[in-house]
Amino acid sequence: MDPSTVPSGIQALDEVLHGIRLGDNVVWQVDGIEDYYYFARPFAETAIAARRRLVYFRFASHPPVLESRPGMEIIELDPSLGFDYFTREVHLLIESRGPEVMYIFDNLSALVVEWATDELLANFFQITCPYLFELNTVAYFALTRGQHAHYAVARIRDTTQILVDVYHAKGQMHIHPIKVWDRYSPQMFLPHLVAGENWLPLSHSREAAEVLVSAHQSPLLDTMRPLAPWESVYQKLLHYRDSTSGFDEKDPEQFALKQELARMLIGHHPVFNRLADRYFTLGDLFAIRNRLIGAGRIGGKAAGMLLAQRILLTEKNETEIDFAERLDDHDSFYVGSDVFFTFLVNNDLFRLRLQLTCDSSTSHEEFQEIEQRFLAGRFTPTIQEQFRAMLDYYGQAPIIVRSSSLLEDSFGNSFAGKYRSIFCPNQGNPEARLADFMRAVKLVYASALNPDALCYRSKRGLGTNDEQMAILVQRVSGMPYRHFFFPMLAGVAFSRNLYAWNDRIDIRQGVIRLVLGLGTRAVDRVGSDYPRMIAISHPHLRPEVGAKVSKYSQHQMDLLDLETNRFDTRFPAEVFVDGNYPNLYLFLSVMRDNYPYDPISGKVDGRPDQWVLTFNNLIRRTDFVLLMGKLLSTLEEAYGQPVDVEFTASVDATERVRINLLQCRPLFMPGSLVDVSVPTSLDRQQVLFRAHRMICGGLVEQIRYILYISPQRYYRLTSEAKKSLGRLVGQINRHPTMKGTKILMMGPGRWGSGNIDLGVNVTYADIDNAAVLVEVALEEAGHVPEVSYGTHFFQDLVEGQIIYLPVYPDDPSTEFQREFFETTPNALLEFLPHTSEYASVLRLIDVPKTTEGAFVQVAADPQRRQAVCFLDKVVRKRH
Amino acid sequence: MAELNPFKIAQAQLDAAADRLGLDIATHDLLRWPQQELRVTLPVHMDDGKVQIFHAYRVQYNTARGPAKGGIRWHPEETIDTIRALAAWMTWKTAVVDIPLGGGKGGVTCNPKWMSEAEKQRLARAYMRAIASTLGVSKDVPAPDVYTTPQIMAWMMDEYETMVGHHHPGVITGKPIPLGGSEGRGDSTARGGVYVTREAAKIMNLDLRNKTMAIQGFGNAGQYAALLGNEILGLKLIAASDSQGGIYNAKGFDPKQVVDYKLKTGSLQGFPESDRISNEELLELDVTILFPAALENVITAANADRIRCKICCELANGPTTPEADEILYQNKVFVLPDFLANAGGVTVSYFEQVQNTYNFYWPLQEVHERLDQKMTRAFYGVHEMYLKEKVNMRQAAYLVSVARVAEACKLRGWV
Repeated sequence: MDPSTVPSGIQALDEVLHGIRLGDNVVWQVDGIEDYYYFARPFAETAIAARRRLVYFRFASHPPVLESRPGMEIIELDPSLGFDYFTREVHLLIESRGPEVMYIFDNLSALVVEWATDELLANFFQITCPYLFELNTVAYFALTRGQHAHYAVARIRDTTQILVDVYHAKGQMHIHPIKVWDRYSPQMFLPHLVAGENWLPLSHSREAAEVLVSAHQSPLLDTMRPLAPWESVYQKLLHYRDSTSGFDEKDPEQFALKQELARMLIGHHPVFNRLADRYFTLGDLFAIRNRLIGAGRIGGKAAGMLLAQRILLTEKNETEIDFAERLDDHDSFYVGSDVFFTFLVNNDLFRLRLQLTCDSSTSHEEFQEIEQRFLAGRFTPTIQEQFRAMLDYYGQAPIIVRSSSLLEDSFGNSFAGKYRSIFCPNQGNPEARLADFMRAVKLVYASALNPDALCYRSKRGLGTNDEQMAILVQRVSGMPYRHFFFPMLAGVAFSRNLYAWNDRIDIRQGVIRLVLGLGTRAVDRVGSDYPRMIAISHPHLRPEVGAKVSKYSQHQMDLLDLETNRFDTRFPAEVFVDGNYPNLYLFLSVMRDNYPYDPISGKVDGRPDQWVLTFNNLIRRTDFVLLMGKLLSTLEEAYGQPVDVEFTASVDATERVRINLLQCRPLFMPGSLVDVSVPTSLDRQQVLFRAHRMICGGLVEQIRYILYISPQRYYRLTSEAKKSLGRLVGQINRHPTMKGTKILMMGPGRWGSGNIDLGVNVTYADIDNAAVLVEVALEEAGHVPEVSYGTHFFQDLVEGQIIYLPVYPDDPSTEFQREFFETTPNALLEFLPHTSEYASVLRLIDVPKTTEGAFVQVAADPQRRQAVCFLDKVVRKRH
Repeated sequence: MAELNPFKIAQAQLDAAADRLGLDIATHDLLRWPQQELRVTLPVHMDDGKVQIFHAYRVQYNTARGPAKGGIRWHPEETIDTIRALAAWMTWKTAVVDIPLGGGKGGVTCNPKWMSEAEKQRLARAYMRAIASTLGVSKDVPAPDVYTTPQIMAWMMDEYETMVGHHHPGVITGKPIPLGGSEGRGDSTARGGVYVTREAAKIMNLDLRNKTMAIQGFGNAGQYAALLGNEILGLKLIAASDSQGGIYNAKGFDPKQVVDYKLKTGSLQGFPESDRISNEELLELDVTILFPAALENVITAANADRIRCKICCELANGPTTPEADEILYQNKVFVLPDFLANAGGVTVSYFEQVQNTYNFYWPLQEVHERLDQKMTRAFYGVHEMYLKEKVNMRQAAYLVSVARVAEACKLRGWV
C-alpha cells in the first residue's frame, strides 16, 4: 500500500476514492448523523488498530460519534464561546498534536446554531482545513445537507480535498463524491450505491436520474430549510410581524425569537440582554438589521449607543425633560462582526493574528507592516456593494469609522484608545470616498492586532475570549463653518464624579469633560490642553481661580478640514476669525487683567488672544448641565450601575440645547478601572498603607521606586533646604532611569503649595512622571497639616492620569508602615551622588532590590473610597 | 512644626532698618506693630442651603502718611500673621514710591476653588458689611490680591455704596474699568519695573539697546516685562520660562510672538526655534537684565554666585533670600528690590483712587507718564540712600521708606 494513503476502514470506499491520503480533509454531507457514523466509525477503528494517533473533537449536541476508549483522545470544546475562541483553540490543539494525526470532528452544522451565520462556518473551515493539510493529517467532517447557504458550501468545497454527498434514495444509501482532489477515474464522480463489497457507480442515466431527483429538492437554489438562525429567526419574526395579528411580545415563542435576534445582533452579556429585552422593540431590532452591512454582531459601542438612546426615549423623568425633543436622531450603519473574520480569512490574515500575542512584542515598525498587509486586503464584492450604498446614503457628509468590538465597551472592560476610530471627511468623488472609507475600515481592523490591544487583552485575562470586531459608522455631528466641520460642543460625561476635588462635590452626580469642536480632545489627553470639567452637583465650581483659568482651559480645537479632506487641530482664534459663529458668547470668556469676563450680550468682545474657553454662559444660561445630569442618572438607573457617555451637543438661537449621544458604556474612568477592587486577602506584612479619604481610582502595578520625604524631618529643615528639596524631587522625576519605570511619590502636606511650610514645594513638571502621588498628613505637635486634594495641579493630575491619595498615618485603620518607609535602604545617592545632606529626609527606595523582588501595587477603588498600597508578594524579611 | 512666621520676618527687617536709622525706641516700637486690627466672623449662606462660617481680617498697619492701602486675599492658608506681615510691607511700599498712603491688608480664610460665583458674591458682600466702618477713601482702600478679582472688588464696592447710600467708587481699587477702574492697570507692575530698570541702567552707564534679557515666570508681569522691556528699553528677549520649563534662543525672540504663543497654548514649550532650558539654568544666563517674575526664594545662597546679570529687577515678591542678597551685592549685581521694582501696581491703584475722587478719568498716556514720574523719583530716592549708606539696594529702600513713615509719625506728634 502507498505509504501516503490511509485506510478508511471500508475497502469499497477506498476503491471509489482511490484511497484517502495523508493531508486529506474529508467532508461528508449527510441528511442525518447516522450516515456520518457509518463512515467515521470504521475509519476510527482502523486508525486505532494501526496505532495511529486519533483525536475526536466533540462539540455538538448529537450523540457522540465515538465513545471513549483506549487509543484515542477526546477533546471537548464549547462553540458557544464564539467563533474566535473555538477556531483559536482548534488551531492550537492541532498545532500541539503535530503531524499525521487522524481527526474526527462532530457535525459542523452544530456550529452554525451557536454562531448564527454560515459565513463563520465557512470561515472556520477555510482556516482550519489548510493547516490540517500542511500537517499531513486526515480529518473527517460532517455537514448537514440542505441547511447551509450555497455560498458557504461552495467555500467548503473549494477548500477541502474530498467532499462526498451521502443520501438515501429508494430505501438505499448512496454516496456521491463531489470533489476528490488530485484523483480521477471515469466513474469516480457518479453516485454509487452503498451495498456489498463493491459499491457500483450508477452509470446508467435512468438510474442516476431517479436517485438524484429523489435526493435533491432544488439543486441550484439556496437552502430551503436554513439552519443558520441568522436567516431563519429573521424570517420567522418577519412572518409574525406581517401576519394579521401582528407580532405579540407576550407570546412566549415570539418573545423567545425576538430575544434570539437580539442576542445575534448584540451578544450574550447578561446586562445587555436584560436591557435589550426591556427596551428594544422588534422594530428597533429590524432597524438595526436593516442598517447592518454583512452579518454578525454590531459590537459593544453600537449596542451601548442604541440602548442608551432607547432607554432615554422610554423612561420618563419627573423633571419633565422630554428626551424625544432633546436627543438628535441618528442614522448610523454597522459593519457586522462576520465581515471582520471573512476579511481576515480571505486575505490570509487570520493565522497572522493567531501568531501575535502580547509576548510577541511587535515593534512599531512591525505593526506598520501589519497595517500595510491589512491595507492590501480586499473586501468581497457583495460587501463593497453595501459600502457603496451606505456612502451614497451619506452623500458628502463627514462620517466616523469607529471600532465596536465585542469586548470593547462591554461591562468591566474598556479598550479606550486601544482600538482606532478614524474620521472620514468624506469629500471627493464616489470612488475616492469609497477608497477612503475602506482604508479606514482596514485600519480599524488592523488596530485589533495592535500590540497595546493584545497586551491589554492578555492582562485583563481576555486573551482567549471571542473578540469580534464590528464597526460603527456614524455621521459626524456638527455643521460646516467656513471650510471646517465640527460639532459645537462635544465631550464625555460620567455618572459618578471620581475626580471630585473637594468635599462639597457630590460624587453621585457625575462630571462632564466638555470641549468645543470634535470630542477627541475630551476623550484623549493632550498635554497642556484642558477640557472644562463640570461637576454636575456644583457646575460653577472649578479648581482654578483668576489667571489659572486661562492656563487650565482648552486652547486648541479638533475639527475636519473639508478643503484638505482631513482631521486637523486649530486655535479657536484661527477658526472664528470673524467671530460670527453662532453662540460663541456661551462658550468664550474674555481675559482682562487676569480675570475672565463672561460676555453680557450675544456678542463676544475683546481680541481673539484674550478669548478663553470657559463655557461659563452655557452653564449659567442654559439647562445643559441639568440635561446632562438627568441623562446620566436615567442611564445609570436603567443600567443598574454607573455609566459613561460620549456626546456632542448643540445650542440653537433660543439657547435650547440638544444632545447627540454617541456612546454609552459601564463607567470606565480614563486612567483608571472602575472595577478595581481593593484586594481583601492581603497578608498584613504586605500592606504599606491604606487610604480612606477622597481619592481618584485606578490600579497601578509594578511600581519599582518609592520616593519618600519623611514628614518629621521635613518640618525641621530650614526654608532654604525645603526649597532645594522640591528641586531634587524634580531631578529624580526627570532622571533617565525613571523613564519607562513607575515611581510613587509621597511626602508631607500640600504638594505644590507656594508656602513651603505647608508642603513639598514642587511644580507639576517636578512630579509629572509619577504614577501615584501621596500626600501624607502626619500629625505633628497636635497639628494635622491639610492635604491639598491635588488642587495645586488638579487638572494636570487628571490629564496625566496620576493617581492622587491623601493618607493620614495617625489613623490606625491606615496601617501606615512608617518603619518601611523610614528604614529601607536609600538609593538616593546612586541617583544624585552629591545630595548626602538630604539623604535622611529624602528617601528613594528601589523596592524589588530590598524586598526579594517584590514590586509595589496600588489599588484605589473610588466607589468605596478605599485604597491600598501593598507589596505584590509576601516578603519574609523586607530588607 | 518649626513654622516660619512671616510677621516675625517683617519685624526683623524693620529692626535692621531702625537700628541703622537710629530710630528712637518709641517710634521703632510703634512701627513694629499694626495700628489697628479687625477680626470678623462671617456667616454665609451656601448654595446647598447650609451656612458656612468664615474668618476674616483687616489690618491697618500704619496710616501716618495717609489712608491704609492694601489688598484682600482669599486663601485657605490665611493667618493673621501673614496679613500683618503683608500690611507692614505695604506700608514700606507706599512710602518708597512716595504716594500719600499707609499700609494695610485684609484676608478671608476660604478656598475660592470650592465656591460658586454666587457664593463668592455673598462672601464678598458679607466681608464688606463687616469691615465697612473702617473703610473709606480717606480711611482705608482695599484692592485685589491673591484669588480676588476685579469682579469681587465690584461686588464689594456695590455693597459699600448700598450701605452709605451714595457713590463712593474710591473705597476700593482694582475695579473693572466700566465701574471706575483705571486705564493702565494691566501692565502697571511690569511697566514700573521697566522704568526703574531704565534709570538703573542710566546710573550704571549701560546702553540697553539690543542688550539681552531673561524672564523667569511668564504670567501677567513676565509677559508685559517681555513686551515693555523690548518696546521701552530695546532689550532682546533671549530666554523665558514658566512652571513647565523655559525656552532659549541666543539670537532673541520676538516677544509679541512668545506672548501670543503662551496665551494660545497655555505654555512656552514647543515655541518655534527655541532650545529647552530649565528654570535654574535661566537664572544663571549671562544676560544684561534678569526679571525674576515667578516664585519666592529662587535666588539663594546656593546659586547666587552664578547669577551673571548686570541688573536683577525683582517683579516677583521675595525672589532673593537675604543670604543671596549679600552675595549679589558683593558680586556687583545691581538688584532692584521687589517692593520698589513691583510698586507700579500699587501706584496705579493709587491713581485709580485719585481719579475716582475727582470723578475724572485720565487717558492711558497720562497714566503712563505719571507712573513714570513716580517710579523714577522713587528709584532716585532709594539710590541716593544706597550711595549714602553704602548698603545694598534692598536695605536702602527699607531705610528710605521707614524714615518717611517715621517722619510722618513724628510730625503728627504720635511719638
